[in-house]
Amino acid sequence: MKRNILLYMVLLAMVFSACQKLDLQPKGILLPEELFGNESGVKKYFTGLYNYLPIEDFNYYGNNNPSGGDAFRPTNYWEAGKNSQGNCSGEFFNTWQGVNNSGFGYWPYNRIRDVNIFIRDFPGYKANFKPDPYNALLGEASFLRAFFYFGLAKRYGGVPIITTVQNPLAPRDSLLVARNTEYDTWKFIYTDLQFAIANLPATSEFGRANKYVAAALLSRAMLYAGSVARYTTYMNYGAEKAYTAGLAGIDPSKANEFFQYAVDAGKLVETGPYQLYTKNYPDKALNFANIFLDASSTENIFVKDFDQTVPNDTRLRHNYDALMCPQPDMASDVGAESYPPFDFMELYDMTAYINPDGTPVRFTNRSDIKNDMEPRMKGTMYFDGDPLRGKTFSIQKGIYLTYTGTAAAAQGGSNAAPINSSGNRVLGSRGQTTKINGVDMLIAGAHGHFTFNADGENNAWGAAFVRKYINPQMATPDVRLYNSGTPWIVFRLGEVYLNIAEALYELGKRSEAFDYIEKLRVRAGCKVARPAIDMGTTNIGSINKANYPYQIENSLQFIRDERVRELYGENHWWWDIRRWRTADQILNQFRPRMLSAYYVANEGKYIYIDEINRNNRSWTASKSCFYEPIPGGEIGKNSKLLPNNPLY
Amino acid sequence: MKKITYIILGMGLLAFSSCFKKDNYAAPDAQIHGNIIDFYTKQPLLTSQADWSIRTWEKSWKESVAQPRDLPVKQNGTYNNSKQFAGSYDMLPYGGPFWPIADTAKGVAFNGSAQQDFTVTPYLQVVELTTSVSGTNLTLTCRLKAPKRVGLPNIVEVKPYLSLTEFVGESNYINIAEYNNTRKQINQSWLTYFGDVETSPVITIGPLPVKSGYTYNVRIGANVNDAFRKYNYSEIKEVKVP
Repeated sequence: MKRNILLYMVLLAMVFSACQKLDLQPKGILLPEELFGNESGVKKYFTGLYNYLPIEDFNYYGNNNPSGGDAFRPTNYWEAGKNSQGNCSGEFFNTWQGVNNSGFGYWPYNRIRDVNIFIRDFPGYKANFKPDPYNALLGEASFLRAFFYFGLAKRYGGVPIITTVQNPLAPRDSLLVARNTEYDTWKFIYTDLQFAIANLPATSEFGRANKYVAAALLSRAMLYAGSVARYTTYMNYGAEKAYTAGLAGIDPSKANEFFQYAVDAGKLVETGPYQLYTKNYPDKALNFANIFLDASSTENIFVKDFDQTVPNDTRLRHNYDALMCPQPDMASDVGAESYPPFDFMELYDMTAYINPDGTPVRFTNRSDIKNDMEPRMKGTMYFDGDPLRGKTFSIQKGIYLTYTGTAAAAQGGSNAAPINSSGNRVLGSRGQTTKINGVDMLIAGAHGHFTFNADGENNAWGAAFVRKYINPQMATPDVRLYNSGTPWIVFRLGEVYLNIAEALYELGKRSEAFDYIEKLRVRAGCKVARPAIDMGTTNIGSINKANYPYQIENSLQFIRDERVRELYGENHWWWDIRRWRTADQILNQFRPRMLSAYYVANEGKYIYIDEINRNNRSWTASKSCFYEPIPGGEIGKNSKLLPNNPLY
Repeated sequence: MKKITYIILGMGLLAFSSCFKKDNYAAPDAQIHGNIIDFYTKQPLLTSQADWSIRTWEKSWKESVAQPRDLPVKQNGTYNNSKQFAGSYDMLPYGGPFWPIADTAKGVAFNGSAQQDFTVTPYLQVVELTTSVSGTNLTLTCRLKAPKRVGLPNIVEVKPYLSLTEFVGESNYINIAEYNNTRKQINQSWLTYFGDVETSPVITIGPLPVKSGYTYNVRIGANVNDAFRKYNYSEIKEVKVP
């Protein structure tokens, strides 16, 4: 018994001794002192936020159903190429994707809260910093918050503006915040970015914001806001509650205010150390392609770095080369998924492929189609005869035994056209040949367009592959999934020029607007660098002969087209046709056309025919695409987010 | 040992009792049906399958703000749904090719089988559809009628629809460029394009290539640039190609 008591006492002594000082600071967790009290800590804190910025880059999953993560950081991000925004919006022809009106429920208030925590707590550590870096870091926080709100505003219009750190234990009613108007939301972005511009330094380390980065974002955001204000009124949203309450749409009288902000911000960027990239002159085509490959480009304002040497799954790698180049010659995994439609190619200076009498031009070589082409177009797309990774593109659809008459006789490639009867037009599989008068003739090129696997990958549907952002330095065996490291250019001077030009034109400063267009067109190598200003009006757009619900001046349409030409494949197109409020008309059964090369056997020459895409695929957007619906789960938590956006 | 056996038996009883299948909420069994009447013809509105819908909000559930649920409208201008939870609902024809309806039907009781009809005023009427086949080319004509022209949004287009089944309209048609490219894209106001008349001149669409020996169901649709851009249709005509 005594022994037991002793035993218990010893045990008790051990138990209670263990209760001492359990309240230790865990050594693996960084607390506010470490994170906010010195510059490296803040940098670490911001790194996470930069990683979450809503940048539609190579890995952006434009469809609303990524198999993991969210659209900016999908787990299976090799699929992001198939589900790219360009594929969804018809900017790239592909056989998989259609328009996604309703988005994926982007709702980054957790990240906004992270910024708000910093803005609330950082002043407590002011004594640790000199004034300059202190203000710069606060400015950087404002930049980050504005970027998140920009991602929200361009999707939803007006959203709740949260600038404080909400306490989860506060009365429930105070946590349910209603939406601000769309005008207020864009103004809030303006205010945050003005603060960032005032406080950020003129230079920053690679991948971080400086005052010009903030100004570049401001020029884009204010251009969006101005267009929303000017053109939403033509949507006839009528009695839709979100529209009447100003949650979706802005009074047209505010348009000029925003356009002026866009001009001012753009002109601030101009005062920075940036210049249009011209290093590879006089080869303007190569020069244009290298804008996107040369890390030292003077045109880059803000770059999201991808680096395939970083270990583990840190998502700083992408698959663009493997998803845009044809396998097996130029890629060794997956292969090409997306192709430029002829509708976009037509916007550039193009070699004549139809004679004035309507007959197809006879070319000696297929690659002669490039003879008279705008250099920028050749820098944006690969055509037959272009070398890549030791191989040469070979793109041909078939053979006409004879071709008499006009190009229109081909009826857009329809099988019903008499000239396309199987006795006269020969189609075949990859690299297939046929004997004509005893000579083996190639029917279909090695890279398209062939009948076998006609629905699948690695088959040029028209005359071109995407060249922008393709890195020719990679050897074909290296072109695999997760193996590309080309950085994504978030803002470049070329875009800022376009922002200024469009905003200036919208403000009626036509000639000044074309000063900027001219700079870009000189660099692009266009035949006419500065077209005369044409104030005649039209409501017919360039692509798909869209019927806009409003009239615009021909020169403004030219500026819009210039934007498409310059920024093709950079994930601008969808946002642009949304803010112009023309997406539902441009993507009104938009049936991409394809330029197809044929050999005319009896003449020994090549012709190019403007055809309707072989799958007869079409893209259609409805008027609900101009705003995404507020995510249903959020409405379930907070009914003050209602009314939902128009047409939902 | 016996104790352990009882414990195991008891645990088994507990474990299996949790599998008892009893849902404490009855399956929805209320039916709601009705017609969408065209104000001009007094007949069910000519429409296409699931082009648009009747929007409903359940009001008897007070715990959260009612979210809209849509009941699709059938091609014959009727709707019918027999798997609704009984309760009190607000209903509104929404998103269709007619002038917006100001009055939501409030407090419609879903219980047993209820009928709720709506009358709508279509933007346009597509009338006098004719079809003519010459060889393997089909030509269509029609006229548009706009009884109410004040405040009418711009006319967007007049479009032919061909189908090999009885279902024909925007949700089901032969979607090929040869047909779609023959649509008349107008995008102007009625007044600018047709003048101040109630009935338009004859609009001809075609020729449309058709295949010998097939029977097509054909109609024409026209839409205006309201928020939804849905189509008002003609009636359907059957065309046998010899």
